[in-house]
Amino acid sequence: MQPKMLTPMQLFIGFSKIGMSGFGGVLPWARRTIVEQEKWLSSEEFSAMLGICQIVPGPNIVNLGVCVGSRFAGVPGAFAAVMGLMLGPVAIVILLGILYEQYSYMPIVQGLLRGISAVGVGLIASTGFKMLRTELKYPPMLSVIFLTILAATYFHLGIGWVVLLVSPLAFYLAWKKVKK
Amino acid sequence: MMSALISLFLKLSAFSLVAFGGINALLPTLYDLSVNQEHWINSQTFADYFAIAQAAPGPNLMTVTLIGWKVGGVIGAAVATLAIAWPSSIMIYFLQRSIMRMQDIQKQKMIEAAAGALAVGLVLSASWGIALQINNGIAAYLLTAGTIAITLFTRWHPLYLIAIGGLLGIFGFI
Repeated sequence: MQPKMLTPMQLFIGFSKIGMSGFGGVLPWARRTIVEQEKWLSSEEFSAMLGICQIVPGPNIVNLGVCVGSRFAGVPGAFAAVMGLMLGPVAIVILLGILYEQYSYMPIVQGLLRGISAVGVGLIASTGFKMLRTELKYPPMLSVIFLTILAATYFHLGIGWVVLLVSPLAFYLAWKKVKK
Repeated sequence: MMSALISLFLKLSAFSLVAFGGINALLPTLYDLSVNQEHWINSQTFADYFAIAQAAPGPNLMTVTLIGWKVGGVIGAAVATLAIAWPSSIMIYFLQRSIMRMQDIQKQKMIEAAAGALAVGLVLSASWGIALQINNGIAAYLLTAGTIAITLFTRWHPLYLIAIGGLLGIFGFI
């Protein structure tokens, strides 16, 4: 792929689209927009970048905005991408917060939100399962995933400790995978 | 209110640096801060803010924005959103450049493979943790499981699933 340049305005508009269409989590929409529609990155490039954004702490999608934005247009690009991502959704969510104050006493609203939150949990989990599919290409790596889950959910270790404990194995297996 | 805003800013900025696996991984910590420690909101409001953030367009971190809004109105929302994002943004900016500039392509691939596997584990553990916190009752878990199955095996727009979940909730099934 030849190197491409994008203006901060293009990044702002692209990431506004991602932010405003990202119902139930933004990452699937980020892939759809960046890889399938705009073709800014190939699927492999996107996955690699997302991998870095997900290992670094912080909101993944903001990290992705910084990565993609700065790759195509430096620091202004990073600002443009993150602003595009956040401005619309923040305004909408504040409006919804105001509505919630007014109507949260109603049983219908309470039921509505209970249903939505159960679906929301499922959407987050399915993002994880979709990422798991990629890992199946190199089965030994599944041990890393298993250990992470064990440490986090069974032993209730803080997320920083989990990363510290599991990363040596992850790096060892990644090294073997690359040498293969 | 000023002191609450400062506390919000400092604590969320610190969380930004330990939020491995993203905001979803942080939800239990956020719950602890806003419900148990600071009493900004109660448990029900937390679950409802999570639902609103899911139903609204935009990143999952909108749960944080809503908590900030509750603490200090529009300024609180801006402070909370900024706080959760700035430390990690600066970190990723420098880290990404050093990884992408790496001459050794194998080394780069290795870091990516390791990071990818860790991310999968963290996202899966986090979703399990959130389920325990937010779902109450078998019906809610069934809805969660159904959502996972449909998302994995069909190409339905998540918005349909959110609408179905909302309807089931309105009719009192969840």
